[in-house]
Amino acid sequence: MIFQDAAAYAASGFAPKVCVIGAGPAGITIARKLATAGIPVVLLEAGSNEWTEESQDAYKGVTIGDPYFDLDSTRLRYFGGSSNHWAGWCRILESYDFEPKTYIQNSGWPIRRSDIDPYFDETYDILGLSPFRPDVPVTDNFRLFQVIKSEPVRFGEKYAAELEASKTIAVVLNTEVTELSGDGRSVTGGKLWSRGQAAGEIHAPYFVVATGGLENSRLLLWSNERSNGGVVPNAAALGRYWMEHPMYITGDALITNQAFELDHEGEAFFMPSPEAMARLQLPNFHVQLETAPYRGVKALIANMTCYAAPETTEWLSHKLGQRLQCTARVHMDWEQLPREHNHVALSATEHDAAGVPRIALHWKKDESDRRVMLEGMRLFGEEFARKDLGRIHISDWVRNGEDYPDGMELAGNHHMGGTRMSDDPKLGVVDRDCKVHGMSNLYVGGSSVFATSGQCTPTTTIVTLALRLGEHLSRTISNS
Amino acid sequence: MTDAKTKRSTRRSFLRTLLAIPATAFFFRNIRLTEHDDIVEVDGWILKRSDIL
Repeated sequence: MIFQDAAAYAASGFAPKVCVIGAGPAGITIARKLATAGIPVVLLEAGSNEWTEESQDAYKGVTIGDPYFDLDSTRLRYFGGSSNHWAGWCRILESYDFEPKTYIQNSGWPIRRSDIDPYFDETYDILGLSPFRPDVPVTDNFRLFQVIKSEPVRFGEKYAAELEASKTIAVVLNTEVTELSGDGRSVTGGKLWSRGQAAGEIHAPYFVVATGGLENSRLLLWSNERSNGGVVPNAAALGRYWMEHPMYITGDALITNQAFELDHEGEAFFMPSPEAMARLQLPNFHVQLETAPYRGVKALIANMTCYAAPETTEWLSHKLGQRLQCTARVHMDWEQLPREHNHVALSATEHDAAGVPRIALHWKKDESDRRVMLEGMRLFGEEFARKDLGRIHISDWVRNGEDYPDGMELAGNHHMGGTRMSDDPKLGVVDRDCKVHGMSNLYVGGSSVFATSGQCTPTTTIVTLALRLGEHLSRTISNS
Repeated sequence: MTDAKTKRSTRRSFLRTLLAIPATAFFFRNIRLTEHDDIVEVDGWILKRSDIL
């Protein structure tokens, strides 16, 4: 069933066991998983079937610290959520990403990757993937790994017909929860806003907040403020430890022995071994080689003369010219450390149309970001040369610690943390089952539960964790 | 002489050799040794020593 607003839903008399707030990849996946167990779910979507300026306006906010994307362009607020502009790149967090590291404060998840392994096949099915090919060691410290560049699933489009036909899932469009009410032990209801006006309250035995990696923090912060701590009774970490994947072009490569496979777009992805990361005390990262056609070689060398000593470039190109196969841009993405000070806060002055404070995102890269970029490039470059795969040039701005350049991607539009998972309520908002600490009936879905970010795109892991949460909640409800 | 001292001495010799050749000194503005004897970073290029000898 799909209802166009809260009034139409209220008239239906539908009685949900679970209220899922947010119809993006996490929310839709959780609702579908619950429905397979016969559990009635109401799935609330703040936007409509398509993008509207009015709905998107609620995502406006400010970023304090480093330059970042406009908060109303880095995510989408309509049926299917940010899957509507997802690029489709897939990879699941590595086993290593879940483990605590002595050299990274607040690292480690309370679960291991083996806890999400059982949900991989279902994840592949949802995202239309084949299982990932095994990594291929290419040097002592790096392995080639597969990023599946899939046809991106637009969750709203893909599942609209199924949800329309469902008798177990009631989708309600144009309807948001502006605040949850709670008594410090359980959520007692949620205030609705639909089609530009207050629309009463919604009640259900269980609630799942799945509104996105920024919005989950916003809704819970505001709800907690309005209920005097009754929604997230252990709120020390709420909104905090927010993370992105910074990404920049950090150099160039001349490839003389292409002893590794490129994907269909002429790209290859390399990840350091856990041993190398531990030895250098670096967080996870990946190096992406974006090869250029052979005809681009002269242009690349010409460009190099702009920032390298011209004589060096000329000499090097001559030296390598006899066995040069192709050139590449070197692109790095890395794991940003979970820092308490990077956080989602509520604006003290700005509110959206429903009266909810807008987001003030505090986000700043630090010395660790500089270090992983430079040390990662050096490690990769040294390995690349020693194996005679080619030669790497590190951009001057990286070596000299100059300002991050304008005009590059900045980051991945990956919004992680804010309601992170931890066994310790002081360091996390949700427990290992994605249940809010201290609350009996409130859960969180999506990348806001990530304790650390790894180096890969988050959507695949989001879906896997959503399946796990859906199954856990199904079991909990069936046993109660 | 220990192995470490031998390595340091080799690196110093290498640098002295590079800087003793005027043309090379002119070419390479910024030289950084790495933890590997066979690899050197020159103007941001990570090269094998054999590339520049």
